[in-house]
Amino acid sequence: MDVQFAKIEGKSVSYWVTVGLLAAATVAGLVATLVMNKHGLYLSGMTNRVPWGLQISMAIFYIGLSAGSLVVSGLYGVFGKMEYKPFARIAAYLAMLFLIAGLLSIFTDQGRIDRVFTKPFTYVNPTSMFSINPALYSGHIMICVLYLWALFKEKGTLTKITSLVVVLWAIGTHTGTGAIFAFVPRELYNSALLPPSFVAAAMSSGAALMILVIVSLFRATQRHLDDELIIWMGRRLLSIFIVVTFYVLLIENAHRAYLAYSHEAGLFFLFGGVHSLMFWVGLITIGCVIPAVLLFVKKTGTSVRWTVFASVLVVVGVLFERFLIVIPGLIHPPELFPGWEVTDAVLWEGVASYSISPLEVLQTLGVIGVIGFAFVVGLKVMPLAPTEARALPAK
Amino acid sequence: MDRRDFIKKGGAVVAGATGVLSLPVLNSCTAETAQAESKLAGKKWMVIDLTRCREDCTECMDACRQENNVAFHGDPRWDVHWIRRATLHPKDQSAGLEEKDVLLMCNQCDDPPCAMVCPVQATYKRDDGIVLVDHHRCIGCRYCMIACPYNARFFNWKENPDWPNKEYPRRSHGVAESCHFCAHLIDGGGRPACVEACERSGERALIFGDLLDPQSEVSRLVAGGGAKRIRADLGTQPKVYYLGL
Repeated sequence: MDVQFAKIEGKSVSYWVTVGLLAAATVAGLVATLVMNKHGLYLSGMTNRVPWGLQISMAIFYIGLSAGSLVVSGLYGVFGKMEYKPFARIAAYLAMLFLIAGLLSIFTDQGRIDRVFTKPFTYVNPTSMFSINPALYSGHIMICVLYLWALFKEKGTLTKITSLVVVLWAIGTHTGTGAIFAFVPRELYNSALLPPSFVAAAMSSGAALMILVIVSLFRATQRHLDDELIIWMGRRLLSIFIVVTFYVLLIENAHRAYLAYSHEAGLFFLFGGVHSLMFWVGLITIGCVIPAVLLFVKKTGTSVRWTVFASVLVVVGVLFERFLIVIPGLIHPPELFPGWEVTDAVLWEGVASYSISPLEVLQTLGVIGVIGFAFVVGLKVMPLAPTEARALPAK
Repeated sequence: MDRRDFIKKGGAVVAGATGVLSLPVLNSCTAETAQAESKLAGKKWMVIDLTRCREDCTECMDACRQENNVAFHGDPRWDVHWIRRATLHPKDQSAGLEEKDVLLMCNQCDDPPCAMVCPVQATYKRDDGIVLVDHHRCIGCRYCMIACPYNARFFNWKENPDWPNKEYPRRSHGVAESCHFCAHLIDGGGRPACVEACERSGERALIFGDLLDPQSEVSRLVAGGGAKRIRADLGTQPKVYYLGL
């Protein structure tokens, strides 16, 4: 199959407006980070009880989104579906950007940003997931660079090998990210199912985002895209990922709510506050049930429009899922004295709460600005997108 | 593909892979273990006798704040408490149990989750078992606060304006901290400030000593039975024991 790639023109008014907006968001995020770095992180919504907030939630959301490349590389590199190879460049480039976004979110969340480029390199702690994961992420970024180079230079064998390495490494990346939370002795964190559920949700959101990016890019540049390619990805792939994610979430929560020792924490997660609403409405209904039904029902599942809509829902649902990994486990008080309730004293004992501060929102916009900028400029300077994408004729 | 081609392509793959894989390896080569130089003996323990602890007394907490320049902003969201009082209410009222007060502090775990997750080994355990933080190394990631099952670790969310004890450093905002049994005083042959203060107040509710010395008061109190640790089932091996809990 001979695929042609072309840079986008990038001369329209809307292109420059997009570039301008993304640049403005970057500057806003930079300013917010500098202000917090100068005066202290109390300017965020975080507290002694909830020491991680929006930035960490977004970081793991971005890491998950990078799985789009895992999906595309897996399709043609492992399962031989060559009609998806045209999307490999754009997928690898996006994966690289999302990994950078993840690292950037974690980086801007540190109390002493000035030390981040020295201390983690000189004093590695091999038992810390926070030492292992940056190595996984930066290794992943380097593999993406090599992979992109192989794709640009049309190196057949190297492409084949790196596509396989990308798949394996990506699974490591997502497992490692889940392990940041799973390997911690907190009632709503420690769960052997968290890393696999992280991988499943990552593949859902990654595949959904790939559909969104491909469709919008081909529509915006008026290039030809066979509907079949998108419909197959939605109906045969995304739908399965959603079901697996739902299944793992179901088991994880049922297990927690069933056992006496985690019963109270499990019920707190499911029915204990605003986060429960996010879980039932945002994650289960919007993120799993509705898109799964849309994709499985033939009438909607075979329409690109509905597939795109379902993909938007999945990305939103996974955003909720990421937030729900981080926050409820922190606002739920650790059971220090089983059978006793620790009430307010000098510290916020009991159930805590977390509200996002405006500066944190600006930081998030800044990270989106950085990678969005790199993405649209990348499309203009590099031949990332294919001129057309066609399904293989049926044999 | 001919042989030359194979070598070229194979070489590129190997070079790429080594570059990636060597990153963590190179790091660990340069990693220093913070504990290497210390030749500290013993295992430091604390026994908190709640039957002697007076509810209206704040001597230990005040002494700790004075000694260690612990940040106090008057806001529970950002205040730092190395030792704090909390009230326990029985969940089951029918059992006839009464409300009681308890002192909470860093449990100085023998298997500390905070040190295990610290990405820069800023939190580490000395040979005498004391867990402490190197404030010059901490990057402020707050993973230790996430990992501590006792809510005993705190973060400097904002700059601390007070500096009562000029002998001991003040921390910048952006680093984590917790009780370190006043390691700087122990190294000078002393005892933790809270223990001294409690003894001065005449209560002797806080008893500090060495586990490896069977004659020490802590060893005798723990050996006497009835001493409990908070959530010992978590396997963290706390070194703070409670009497009357």
